[in-house]
Amino acid sequence: MGEKQNILITGAASGIGRASALRMAKSHHVIVADRDGDGAGTVTSEIVAAGGTATAIAVDVSDGASVRAMKAQIESNIGPVLSAFFAAGIFIRGVTGEIPEADWDRMMDIHVKGTFLCCQAVIPDMIAANKGAIVNMSSDFAVMAVPGAAAYMAAKSAIYSLTKSIALEFAPQNIRANALGPGPIDTPILKSGRTEAEYAKAREAFAENLPIGRLGQPEEVAAVLDFLLSDRSAYMTGQIIHPNGGQLMW
Amino acid sequence: METMIVTGAGSGIGSALTRRLLDENYHVSAWDTDPGDLAGANDENLDFCELDVRDADAMSAAVAGAVGKTGKIAGLATCAAIFHTRPFLDVTEDEWDSHLSINLKGTLLACQAVLPQMLEQKSGSILLFASSIARRGAAESAAYAATKGGVLGLGRAIALDHARAGIRANILSPGITDTPQPRGNMSEDALYDWADNIPLGRIGMPEDMLGTALFLLSDEASFVTGQDIRVNGGASLF
Repeated sequence: MGEKQNILITGAASGIGRASALRMAKSHHVIVADRDGDGAGTVTSEIVAAGGTATAIAVDVSDGASVRAMKAQIESNIGPVLSAFFAAGIFIRGVTGEIPEADWDRMMDIHVKGTFLCCQAVIPDMIAANKGAIVNMSSDFAVMAVPGAAAYMAAKSAIYSLTKSIALEFAPQNIRANALGPGPIDTPILKSGRTEAEYAKAREAFAENLPIGRLGQPEEVAAVLDFLLSDRSAYMTGQIIHPNGGQLMW
Repeated sequence: METMIVTGAGSGIGSALTRRLLDENYHVSAWDTDPGDLAGANDENLDFCELDVRDADAMSAAVAGAVGKTGKIAGLATCAAIFHTRPFLDVTEDEWDSHLSINLKGTLLACQAVLPQMLEQKSGSILLFASSIARRGAAESAAYAATKGGVLGLGRAIALDHARAGIRANILSPGITDTPQPRGNMSEDALYDWADNIPLGRIGMPEDMLGTALFLLSDEASFVTGQDIRVNGGASLF
């Protein structure tokens, strides 16, 4: 991926999305999309301050009208997007028997429908160019299990399956789709629902239990994202890569 | 300058990887029973060691030689393997043993030759080449499939055993690739016609494996260990 491209990243205001935006902006124009428009603006400013170029867009990926508006804005102001990372996500802890229906719906809307809508939005440009690379944010939990995360696990499994479907359907148009399946990464999502003290304790527990002996950093996931969007992975599609410190091996 | 070690370096993906690593400014200790594609290669950073991966002493000596030269082993890529197709009931014990000893035990011995130095450095990246056949199986390929399944287990075990020592181990599983290996078992036409079975519409080239191999061998993949990365044009999605 030598030439400068437009790269769309959702969930780009924080965590892995943000680290990916900062990294990709070193050689590309990044569209920093997030529900948190102010946060997207802050990341965009950081990119510009570092000498890169970026565009901030506020979007609710679970809302088709909002995703279409984002697409229209990109079309008229920026141009075709042939490279995209859909990382928008939330985490709600909950024992399966007690998950409120609204929480379930929100998890599915943001993760699964959001990924679906965003892929639908960018694929036509890719078909026209006969080239494209999509990376969707899944998780180790697409494959392994922990208690208290049924909705998140179901959502991340669904994203992995969706990614494989897209990979098969659009391979003839030279569009690749792969998934990222991170393990525990030091991000706001990992911290969500935990107090500072609880998070400090959780970090210790992760470090103790992970083969590699430490939490991952968002930049380490961004490095894998960069690989998957680049021509270095030109013959890979429909795969999931797990930057997870050895938490899951399959 | 740091050393990368490649087994099976004389042909196929191994020789392509050796050349790429030289381009990337590594010293390469290239191991094979025959120099093959590397015959006549004239690069001061290339040390070809004529050895068999069943020979642990020869590999330890080659590691010592490389350490003497650069002081550091950055990584090991194990490409050495044989692949003979045979109907299951016709597989001889000798044929079984040669697959197991070269493809699987040879991989173990190469890792054992390199690991003491990596443990001393507290760094190093190991990349084992398996195959999409490890998960999918293939007709008339029992011995090969068993060894490549074994490589998956071996790679994960190395990753778990040495993660705390700063050593990563991963696996790269290519789909069918344009190298001498499949030509031992299929015609030229059949090899290229295989593209019809591959979503991306072509068989793999050795170069297709190199981007992934270099990524996994490098510090870019610092949080990736114990993984099996499948580079197969979408032909196998699990």
